[in-house]
Amino acid sequence: MPEIRIRNLRKSFGAATVLDGIGFTVRDKEFVTLLGPSGCGKTTTLMAIAGFQSPDEGVIAVGDEVFVDRSAGVDLPAERRDLGIVFQSYALWPHMTVAQNVGFPLSLRKADKRAARERVAEVLDLVELGGHGDRYPHQLSGGQQQRVALARAIAHPPRVLLLDEPFSNLDAKLRERARDWLKQLQTSLGLTTVFVTHDQDEALAMSDRILVMHGGRILRDGTPEEVYREPGARFVAEFLGQCNFLTGSVAAGPAGSSVLRMPAFPDGITVGAAPRGPEATVAVRPQDIELDGPDAPGVDASVIEAVFLGDHYRYQVRVAGLRIEVHAPHTVACGPARIRIPPGAAVFVD
Amino acid sequence: MTAVDTPVAAGRPRAPASVGQAVVSVLVIGLVVGPFVPLVYSSFRSKPVYLPGGVFSLGGYRTLFADPAYRTAVKNTLLFAVGTTALAVAGGTLLAILCTRTNLPGRRAYGLLLMAPSVIPPLGLIVGWTAIYGQGGYVTQLLSRNLHLPVWNLSSIPGMTVFGAVVTLPVAYLTVRSTLAGTDSSLEDAARSAGAGPLRVIGRITLPMLRPAILNCTVLIFALCLEILGIPLFLGGPSNIDFYASFLYRSWSNSGTPDPPFVSAGAVLLLVVVSLLLVVRARLSGAEQRFVTVGARSGGVHRPLDLGRWRRPASAAIGVFIAVTSVVPLLGLVLMSFVRVLTTLVAPWHLMTSDNWHAVATDPALRRSITDSLLIAVGGGAASVALVAVAALIAHRSRFPLRRLIAPALMYPRAVPGVILGMGFFWTYLMFTPGSLVRNNLWGEAIALCVRNLTLAYVVIQPSLARIGVELDRAGHAAGAGWWTVARRILLPMLRPALLAAFVFMFVTLLGDYDPVVFLQKPGTEILGVTMLQHWSTGVQGPVAALAVLQVVIVAAVLLVAGRALRRVDHA
Repeated sequence: MPEIRIRNLRKSFGAATVLDGIGFTVRDKEFVTLLGPSGCGKTTTLMAIAGFQSPDEGVIAVGDEVFVDRSAGVDLPAERRDLGIVFQSYALWPHMTVAQNVGFPLSLRKADKRAARERVAEVLDLVELGGHGDRYPHQLSGGQQQRVALARAIAHPPRVLLLDEPFSNLDAKLRERARDWLKQLQTSLGLTTVFVTHDQDEALAMSDRILVMHGGRILRDGTPEEVYREPGARFVAEFLGQCNFLTGSVAAGPAGSSVLRMPAFPDGITVGAAPRGPEATVAVRPQDIELDGPDAPGVDASVIEAVFLGDHYRYQVRVAGLRIEVHAPHTVACGPARIRIPPGAAVFVD
Repeated sequence: MTAVDTPVAAGRPRAPASVGQAVVSVLVIGLVVGPFVPLVYSSFRSKPVYLPGGVFSLGGYRTLFADPAYRTAVKNTLLFAVGTTALAVAGGTLLAILCTRTNLPGRRAYGLLLMAPSVIPPLGLIVGWTAIYGQGGYVTQLLSRNLHLPVWNLSSIPGMTVFGAVVTLPVAYLTVRSTLAGTDSSLEDAARSAGAGPLRVIGRITLPMLRPAILNCTVLIFALCLEILGIPLFLGGPSNIDFYASFLYRSWSNSGTPDPPFVSAGAVLLLVVVSLLLVVRARLSGAEQRFVTVGARSGGVHRPLDLGRWRRPASAAIGVFIAVTSVVPLLGLVLMSFVRVLTTLVAPWHLMTSDNWHAVATDPALRRSITDSLLIAVGGGAASVALVAVAALIAHRSRFPLRRLIAPALMYPRAVPGVILGMGFFWTYLMFTPGSLVRNNLWGEAIALCVRNLTLAYVVIQPSLARIGVELDRAGHAAGAGWWTVARRILLPMLRPALLAAFVFMFVTLLGDYDPVVFLQKPGTEILGVTMLQHWSTGVQGPVAALAVLQVVIVAAVLLVAGRALRRVDHA
């Protein structure tokens, strides 16, 4: 399967800029996720690849074929792009059976009737719906409908698979199962895939690479671990899991590290990167902070609220006027306590 | 593993969709806008356009304004329109609230029955009313001659106003009812829990919320009243009362020089007034946004307002209203078609005759009017639905450059008076050479009737189309289907119930409509409505009643069958 190359995509609706210079490449067989809150431009980007939105500027190419090149006046209609899409609503045609839905792309391509029938059966088996071909979409459960939509998207077969929040209509349990199953299928078929979601868990669990989008731009591009551990921007850190943000003055530390000082942490917080200026903000995940009773090492703090959440406690802790959230598996009584931010827990953010 | 790489598909050639889209768009816009151009042109000529030596002139307009009959007709029309609108809006609103928001006994059945005047072919209802409540009508005679009570005069302006209100009441009723159905009844519940009684809830909450809907249907009914032709021709005839449309019609058919420019001028003026009302209506529905209630519809069953001890009296009153306005006239119509003369002096069974029906079965003109009307209703209905379906898809589901013009074009023919559209078609056929192809046969009438009612097919199809998510088209395009393939294999099949409903609506309307063809009918190309009109004006009543009964029976049968079919389609 070919790679997708996107350069400098721009799109405005009136005064509102939806895409502000989007550019990225999806390699062959790669699973790339566009992650962001609603209105960040992720769906617009996907629909531009699919051919349902015309960007004002930019280039979209798949393999050797240029889909969109505004400067050259190229904008291939959606039906000539040979892509597979799973829509958020699944968009199954209600007047066609499952087999007719899945076979539609094949019949358009004038496939031999028998070959098409075999192919439909093959794809339906692949999505574990063999024997459901004669049913109508409304006779299926939400999860089954979603798999029919997927079968239809991969039937012809497409050059690239596009997924527009395909799990958002499933309940929580089913969603996790569907997610694992889709990821497996994608890997085994070697489908080059672009996935759009606002759900960080889905993005982390499925992606080879995550692009975090905000305000029509890509803020961060990396593997799930890179993006989670080194968010780079405050928005990314906040969007992927929870974070405490601490601001203070920075001094150089040993071996290319830095030390961030502030009244609450007079001894400083060690950050594993060279300082970039005299002042900086770091992000610290609540589960990376050590919290214990008043005899433990660290600075003096006060636990003002403790909430039990099953696998951990969520504490609100006050440290010299700062309010910090800590997640820890053990019990700490409300009142005086000690808090410590170990080296490596804090990373610089913009 | 390699399943995806199995090639089962070859490349596919396709023609650009835009050619077909252009053809349909131009056809729709041309059919709708085209007829008005020759009409306006002819109103500014000194002589009818087919006579030599005409020059541009305002003579037509001058003649019109100098004619005292015109001024009287305008005055009558306004009196009628104001009275009818007030009665219909007040009655329709009241009935809609009673039938949707209260615990009125029998509200479901009434909800359907109140629509009857809009389904009964209009001339049938007029003839039925005349048979019962007209000067020589059965009930009128009973009261005046047999009981010596003072009676009404259906042929007076107040009399016609009452009848007009009965005919237009379903418009107000439907508008208000659909608005009530779309507003959250929890707003009213909130007022009740705040301590307001049923009357206060209706007065302080329900009615104010309905203001945009009420204004909207007020303008609509007023515009309808301005163009009404059947009422003054049938009812106003005996007392020589003309309305605007009947003035144009009579001046046209009685004038010394045929087709005088001043009639075109009158039509153009009415066109301008009605178009202005249309603009007002568009403004009003824009203001309606302000009244859209925030939040999801409750969906739950809300407790209806309790009418208390007024429940039964109110229900009985509505029952009597329906009986008096629809049921009795229909019975009168049937009776009239079976007797020599309808009178209270002799028992009807002594006057029994099959002559009226015999005339309908044997008179070639009457027979032709039935077959021609059926032909237009079936063929024209099917053709219009096909055209409107594709046009609606272009308007709402394509990127065709002219698409934004199509929806207004489809709404316009029904918004302008039918007589005026018909006059436009008359001039169009006359002035353009290809017009002679359709001028002297049924095609011309069929085209005028269909164009006039394109709007009805559109208003049925459009909401169903809007309910089909655009992702279904996109999924089709993503699968490789071009615009026509998506239309043919996805959208049109999904629209099947709406297409059938639109066809039924078209059939029923085309069978009863006559306004646009009163200027077009020629011997040999009769249709039901105009034939009834012409026979009635020469005093022939029995066969007209028989034709009207036939019309009602056909419509009822079609609605019954279609209702079944639609239910089946919905289940599939």
